Amino acid sequence: MAHAAPIVIPVRRQRLNRAARTKIINTCCIVVLVVGAAIILLPLFWLIETALKPPLEAYVMPPKFIFSPTTVNFSTLLQQQSDQFGQDLVHSLVVLAVSVALALVLGTPAGYALSRSRFRGSRTISVGLIAIYIAPALVYIVPLYVIYEKLGLTGSYLSLILYYETFEMPFVTFMMRGFFSDIPKELDDAARVDGCSRWLAFRRILLPLVLPGLSTVTVLIAIGSWGEYFGALIFSGPSTQTAPVDLAEYIGLNASNWGALAAGSVLLIVPVLILVVFFQRGYLRRLTSVSAA
Amino acid sequence: MLAAFPAFAVVAAVAVIPILLGIWLSFTNYQPLSPSLRWAGLTNYDGIVRGPNALFAHTAILNTLIFVGGAIAVETILGVAIAVILARKFRGVLFFRAIFVIPLMVNGVASTVTWRSLFSTSNGWINYFLGAVGLGQPNWLGNGHLAMPTIIFIDAWAGVPIVAIIVMAGILMLPPDPMEAARIDGASAIGVFRHIVLPAIQPVLAFAVMFRLIDLFRQFAEFQLITGGGPGLTTTVLNFYVYQETFVNGDIGFGAALAVLLVVMMVIPLAILYRFTRRGV
Repeated sequence: MAHAAPIVIPVRRQRLNRAARTKIINTCCIVVLVVGAAIILLPLFWLIETALKPPLEAYVMPPKFIFSPTTVNFSTLLQQQSDQFGQDLVHSLVVLAVSVALALVLGTPAGYALSRSRFRGSRTISVGLIAIYIAPALVYIVPLYVIYEKLGLTGSYLSLILYYETFEMPFVTFMMRGFFSDIPKELDDAARVDGCSRWLAFRRILLPLVLPGLSTVTVLIAIGSWGEYFGALIFSGPSTQTAPVDLAEYIGLNASNWGALAAGSVLLIVPVLILVVFFQRGYLRRLTSVSAA
Repeated sequence: MLAAFPAFAVVAAVAVIPILLGIWLSFTNYQPLSPSLRWAGLTNYDGIVRGPNALFAHTAILNTLIFVGGAIAVETILGVAIAVILARKFRGVLFFRAIFVIPLMVNGVASTVTWRSLFSTSNGWINYFLGAVGLGQPNWLGNGHLAMPTIIFIDAWAGVPIVAIIVMAGILMLPPDPMEAARIDGASAIGVFRHIVLPAIQPVLAFAVMFRLIDLFRQFAEFQLITGGGPGLTTTVLNFYVYQETFVNGDIGFGAALAVLLVVMMVIPLAILYRFTRRGV
């Protein structure tokens, strides 16, 4: 018993030290996160603030944080500008809807077929799809520009949509191959035994099972299409100009209209946030399961 | 396999054929404005090495390496640090996780032009606040030494959260027992991270770095919209230089050769990282 006391005391002291240290570490962590969060929110705060400010007050130094909010930037952007941001939003939506639909309709069955095929080349095809997906945009933009010029496609919806398939189609096919691979093959066989055609088994039994994965993939390629800039800058013409390209014109060297710029940015960002909140249940988890695949 | 055919046909038409055409174009003198198209052999590649534009090409290659190298270092180190913090359990952590997801969803052009406005020397908030607390007000985008670091900062605004979220998910998926056991045995927080967490998340971390590298090598809007490659050539990266050569100056063959070069530059780090996505390398 005489030995017990000296042992107990240092252990207790160490525990206290550890608790104190944990507290210090936690405080440091919070400080890092608060600074990080502030940096993340700063541009978004500026955007919302500038979008709602009277146009000229955006340039006033020191910044005026108290002002009477106005929607004049939005109305300028959507009605009075010659190049009509509203129409460009529609162009962006058309390109997004058609390119994403095409990628999903063709890419999902392709992913299924790849997941079920046992022939040697299927692994090579998967690697090839990844390679096509990760190749830098220039690799496609330069030759497609030549092809489009020859075929007279430059400036058309088709030119943009086909270019967007260079990253959407391989992505959908590869990701869906992964999701279908998680479903045991016995399920297909059981459905076939019960008299389902291959198509019916795919549509009625397998597709519902991969729906969570499919919706995540859809959100990801939709965000990609919505924000794409380089290809849209090169390929889109006056009647197909997408919203990001239009937005970029507001900060050109000879024109700068921060109010319209901010209003347009808000209009580009908000739909994505709504989409993601709408799909939010498990969005993060699924996003990361995609990245771990 | 029949179900895969339409998708593969589209991929072949929009991706494989252009890749082959691009490689072929890089061996020609193709210029849309001059009708004479002829085989140029290695002229374009020779032009990258020692032609009249060689200085521009070399600068663009070097700037690409500086940008990609600098950004990947910043984004990996800060991203992992924040991932470790976000993976801890404390009150409010879910709020911070939500905040750090936001940049993943924000339109790249919108955030780019916003940062340009914030860094403006005359009306930008950043220099106003720096001045208000008595610090210097550098010309972030007009100074040749500062322009590239500023662009890297702007890229890191989205890049750090992407790495952080992916790596955080990797840490959260780890079984907690080995970490707790090590902590009870008296290992320091850094020791636990270095010897237990880091080896365990190596595949996820390698994936996150690859994911960022792919993006960094295709970054274009930040240069075209913020600096226009300047001041001088200090922020002219390959993507922007090829854009100028091909679509502004109309030298398609030369641009195609530079695009091929960009792919070669990308393949090396990606191939190395790919090995690390496998456990136990």
